[in-house]
Amino acid sequence: MLLCVDLPGEIPEPAQWEELLDALDAVSPLIDDVRSGLAYLDMHGSPGGASAWMTQTRTLLSAYGRLPRLGVGLNKITARAAAYVADGSICRPGSEAGLLAELPLALLDIEPEIIERLTLLGIERLGDLAALPHGPFVRRFGSAAARWHELARGIDRRPFLPRSRAVAIEAVIFGEGRAVDEAQVFFALRMLLTRVCSDLERCGKRAGALHLALELEDAGTAAFDVPLAMPTADERTMFEMMRAKLEGVTFEAAIVGLRVQARILEEGGEAQALLRAVDFDPARVVVTIARLEAILGESVSRATTRQAHLLEERFAYEPFALDKPKMTAAHPESDRCRSEGVRKVVPQLRLLEVREIPVELRAGEPAIVDRQAVTQCTGPWRIQERPFTPAPVARDEYDVVLADGTFARIYHQGAHWYLRGVYE
Amino acid sequence: MVALAIRDEGKIAAFEALKAELSAKVGPASLAVEGAVPTAIPELDRLLAGGFPSGAVATLEGTTGRWSLAAGLVAELTRRSLVAILDDGTLYPPSLAEAGARLEHVLVVPARKALEVARAVDILLRSRICRLVLMPAIALRDAIWSRLAMLAHRSGVLLVVMVARAGAALSAVAELRLHCAFERAIVHGKRGLWGSFAGFDFCIDLRKHKHIPSALLGTARLRAALR
Repeated sequence: MLLCVDLPGEIPEPAQWEELLDALDAVSPLIDDVRSGLAYLDMHGSPGGASAWMTQTRTLLSAYGRLPRLGVGLNKITARAAAYVADGSICRPGSEAGLLAELPLALLDIEPEIIERLTLLGIERLGDLAALPHGPFVRRFGSAAARWHELARGIDRRPFLPRSRAVAIEAVIFGEGRAVDEAQVFFALRMLLTRVCSDLERCGKRAGALHLALELEDAGTAAFDVPLAMPTADERTMFEMMRAKLEGVTFEAAIVGLRVQARILEEGGEAQALLRAVDFDPARVVVTIARLEAILGESVSRATTRQAHLLEERFAYEPFALDKPKMTAAHPESDRCRSEGVRKVVPQLRLLEVREIPVELRAGEPAIVDRQAVTQCTGPWRIQERPFTPAPVARDEYDVVLADGTFARIYHQGAHWYLRGVYE
Repeated sequence: MVALAIRDEGKIAAFEALKAELSAKVGPASLAVEGAVPTAIPELDRLLAGGFPSGAVATLEGTTGRWSLAAGLVAELTRRSLVAILDDGTLYPPSLAEAGARLEHVLVVPARKALEVARAVDILLRSRICRLVLMPAIALRDAIWSRLAMLAHRSGVLLVVMVARAGAALSAVAELRLHCAFERAIVHGKRGLWGSFAGFDFCIDLRKHKHIPSALLGTARLRAALR
C-alpha cells in the first residue's frame, strides 16, 4: 500500500521540503519524492493500519505547521485520488474505477494544453477518458496517451523511486593549535581532505562541491564554497581546488579551526581513460579552471546556442561544466563530418563592439560604408523584436563587401547606421 | 652574441643548389609531418603536409578567412578533446557550432588585457587539458613569446595566434605561418533584397613551416560556404 502525502496551498521551499521528508522517515523509510509538496510512502510491512499511518503522519507534519491531505491506495494514482477526494480516504482494491471516474484530468499531471484539447473534445473527467477506445485514442494523442488511459482506469505502472539517504561527509579539526601561515593551513587542509576522500570512497560516492569553514582566533568565521566541475573523490584535485580558492585571501586573525564538508554527493566511481569518449582528464580540467578564474576574476564559460532573430541573442554563456562522461561520443554534426571524411569551411562571424558608422546610400542601398566603397551588398533583412515592450528593436541588416576586402554585417536602426560584425 | 655568416659566395651558391636539389627530390606529397593535427579540410591538410604541427605555435594571419580555418580545426579537435579560446568579446559561438564544433568542449576564457591573456595561456599550456589554444594577437615581450613556444612544445599543445600581421618575435617562434587573403564574395541571387550571402573564396599562403623546405611552401584556394 502507498500513502500519498499532498501539501495543498503554498509549495514548500526545497530546504523545508527536505526537512519534512526527513521527518517522514519515521513513518516509512521508503519515500518517493515526486516534487516539492507531493510524496508517496511505501507502507508495505509497516505495523498498524492505514488510519494509524495517517494519524502518525499528521502528528509529525503538524509540528511543522503543515496540514497535509492524505490518502491510501494500492498504487500512486489511487493513493493520490484518495487524498484528492477527501483527506484520510482509502481506495480499496476493486473500487479504483469508481473513485477515479469523477475526478478531473489534472490529476494525471499532464500539460494544460493537452487538457484543453481533451476538454474541447468533451473529455473532462477521468471516467470520460477511461471510456475512450484505447487504440484510436493513442493513435491520436501519441504513445504517452497509453499511460494516461491506463492511469484513468487505475492502472499505474510508474515505478516507486525511493529517495536516496542523505549522507553527511565532513572532517573537522579544532583545538589543536593555531595556524598563522598558509603552509600550516594547507597541511591541515590536506589532512582533512584525506579523511573526507576516504569516507567518500567507503560510501562509493563522489563530491560535486566542497564547503570549507574556518574559525578564527578573534571569534570570526569565514566560509568558502568550492564547486567542482566534475564530481570527484580525488584528494589531489580537491586540494588543488581549495588552494586555488584560498590564493590571495588574508585573514584578520590566526586560524584555530577548520571544517571541510563534501556536498552534492553522487553515486558511482570515475570513468577510466580506456572507456572514456574524451581524451582529457576531468580532474585536471577542474583545477585548471579554478586557476584561470583565480587570475581572471571571471568565470570560464561555455557557450550554448538558441533560436533568436537578433544575432546577439542567439547564444548565451554559462559557467564551464563537464557533462557526465559518456562511453560513446554522440554528436550528429561530428559524426556526419566523420562519415564524409571532409569538413567544409564555414564563414565565421566576429561580433565587434557596436559602433556608429557613416553610410552613404545610392539607389536605396549602402554605397559607401565607413568611408569605403561597397563592392557587393545584400539585404536588407528586417528584424523586429519585442514590438510591444518599452524597448522595441526594429532594424534592417545588410551584408556588405568593402573595397579593402572586409566582409561586414551592418544595420540601420532609427536614423543611424551601425557596424555589428565582420566575417573572417 | 655570436654572429654566424657564410662569407664565401661559392659556398652560398653550392648550399642553395643543394637545397633546390633536395627540395626537388622531396615533393610536398611525400612529406608527412609526424604528430600533425589534421583539419579534415583536404586542401589545407595537403598544403600543411598532414595538418597543423602539434606542440607548436602557429599564426593565422590576414583578415578574411583565418577564423573560418580556425573553426574547422576547432570542430575537428572538439570531437574528443577540449579546445580553449581566449575571447576578447568578439567570439560568435553560433558560427562555430555551424562549422561543426562541439561547444560543450570549448572553454571560453574571457581575457582582454595582454597580461591576462599571457597568464591564461601559460596556465592552459602547462595543464595540458586542451589540444588547441586559440589566442588573439597581443603585444608581448619577445621573452614571453619564447616561453609560450617552449611550453607549447613541451606540452604538445597547439597554440594558434590570430593576428593581422605577425611581428618579428612571433614570426621567429612560430613553426607555422599561414596568411589568408579575401578573393571574392559569393552571393546567391541578385543584389539587394533578392540576394543572399553564401560565402566567400579566399587564398591561403603558407609562409613558414618548420618541416617543409621554403621552396615547397605553396598556396591553396578555399571556399567558405554557409550551410
